Amino acid sequence: MSDREEEVIKILRSSSQFNRFKDFMKKLLHHRKALTGLSILFLLVLIAIIGYFAAPYNPFNTNAPPFQPPTRQHLLGTDYLGEDVLSWFLLGTGTSLFVGFSIAIISAFIGVLVGVTAGYFGGQVDNVLMRIVDVLLVIPGFPLLVILSAFLPPTLETTILVLSILSWPFLSRVIRSQTLSLKQRQYVLASKLSGLSGFQIIFRDIIPNLIPIIFINVIFLAVGGVVAQAGLAFFGLGDLRSVNWGTMLYWFEAEDGIVYNAWWWLIPPGLGIVALGIGANFLGNAIYELTQPSRGGQ
Amino acid sequence: MVTLGYIIRRFIYMLITLFVAITLNFLLPRMVPGNPALLILITKYAGNFNPNQLKLIESELNLKGTLWQQYIGYWNDILHGNLGPSYYFYPETVNQIIASRLPWTLFLLGTAMLISVVIGVILGSYSGWKRGFADNFLQAISIGLTSLPYFWLALIFQLVFAVMITINGRHLFPVAQAYSITVSPGFNLPFIESVLWHSALPIITLVITTFPGFALLMRNTVVTILDEDYLLLAKAKGLSVKTIRKRYVNKNAMLPVTTSIALAFASIVGGAFLVEEVFSYPGIGYALYTAVTVSDYPLIEGIFLIITLTVILANFAVDLIYAYLDPRVVLK
Repeated sequence: MSDREEEVIKILRSSSQFNRFKDFMKKLLHHRKALTGLSILFLLVLIAIIGYFAAPYNPFNTNAPPFQPPTRQHLLGTDYLGEDVLSWFLLGTGTSLFVGFSIAIISAFIGVLVGVTAGYFGGQVDNVLMRIVDVLLVIPGFPLLVILSAFLPPTLETTILVLSILSWPFLSRVIRSQTLSLKQRQYVLASKLSGLSGFQIIFRDIIPNLIPIIFINVIFLAVGGVVAQAGLAFFGLGDLRSVNWGTMLYWFEAEDGIVYNAWWWLIPPGLGIVALGIGANFLGNAIYELTQPSRGGQ
Repeated sequence: MVTLGYIIRRFIYMLITLFVAITLNFLLPRMVPGNPALLILITKYAGNFNPNQLKLIESELNLKGTLWQQYIGYWNDILHGNLGPSYYFYPETVNQIIASRLPWTLFLLGTAMLISVVIGVILGSYSGWKRGFADNFLQAISIGLTSLPYFWLALIFQLVFAVMITINGRHLFPVAQAYSITVSPGFNLPFIESVLWHSALPIITLVITTFPGFALLMRNTVVTILDEDYLLLAKAKGLSVKTIRKRYVNKNAMLPVTTSIALAFASIVGGAFLVEEVFSYPGIGYALYTAVTVSDYPLIEGIFLIITLTVILANFAVDLIYAYLDPRVVLK
């Protein structure tokens, strides 16, 4: 191979990878929607950190009277056992976010692996993988979650594992179709000509270009994970002694918070979930707009 | 054009999915330690039983013989439409429980889905066509509404409209159940009125969280169609705006909405189950919740199987309808 050809390959590759990523981060931090989304998510992380280091009470401390509306001592009132709702919320935010992002990272890993493999290698591999995805996408998610959780030991780890295993199929389809189009790009061809193996091309040329899409999906998988875990806990599944948004809502329902008009106990965990969803949507939309400038506003 | 080959292939996928669901159903309970037959006798009869009863229940639950024999027995029961006894409601069978509960769930799901699609299509078409303020507004509220967890919204509605607000000492909506105990079920006006009244909050909850998805999809499709060549041709022909919008835009934009109904159905089921739990609505979601709290495994499995079957059939139907509606789709 001549020097000139090598030079061309180098240029083609560098333009496809790191510089683009740096450029992208710069644009992201000047995008209004992205900043709004990032601020909301940052605020939630801050709440989680405050909860970890400076929750006002032990959440299992039952010294106060039960079902007490907000007071100076208990800013968000108390629950059915006289436990401090604010401390539950602060600590619960951390657990919920941890669960959500663990699920997002594990399932994104599976989803990307399956999607890239199916898209890049094609043929029978693609066929088999996508049929599995089809089956998983058709079975209604929540009932499947319920039946798995009902038979497996009720721990937070089980919940994370089950949700991770069930959350990746949609992402793998997106990644597969993106891989199919990336496969045709010039720099992939250049890498092929320079004699790189399939796996080398996947890690050097394909995956780096999928980072924005993977990032968007990790955010949405995390939101989905938080909501699904909360739904399962609300259904009485998983570790009900864990302090998180879902168990707060479960105990509210199970201990008749409705009858006591205990709005101070009901509102915080739900608002947490809504804030997470809105933050994720802002950030996700911003990344989408930046990576696909031909579509949508801004 | 739909070919027979396509229909057969979709049908085979459907069977494979069912096979996976049924096998999962069979394997899961056999992975947990403990004897389910003993569990029934202990929970139901506080341990006062003789060995013959144990044997009887074991055979009813397909717990005898090798794993393979049990599996064959399980399939035999399923193919005969027998989902086994319920632990908790014993001697009532899972079939009886599902038969009495499923109509309520289908009523909630069907009504909520219909209303959501209608609202979504109207709003989405309007905002895609007009753009500007209406469009921005739709996108903003959609983000907010889709972020609301079904069950939290249900609890808020229950708290506000069924507990907090009273007019002349009466609550606006009932707190729970599907109809009032004072009416007798049947085809009579008080009963129908009571059913509608009790279903209002659950249905509104489901609609609010479901319609934005359809609205956004409709809006995006309308925006895409407005760029199509055939629309330019229609304008050039001098057709009225009303005709263009009705015949050229909305009609074509309905296609993706039709396919998305199937996927939305799979996800709204989870929402409906949680909403049923909140309102103690006597559908299969609430039955599943009860089954989970008392570890009634056959009932959990039976409900999973029936709801999976329902969703798969809905998917299959939508597939066929879509292929029929869109002449551009060539399915082989």
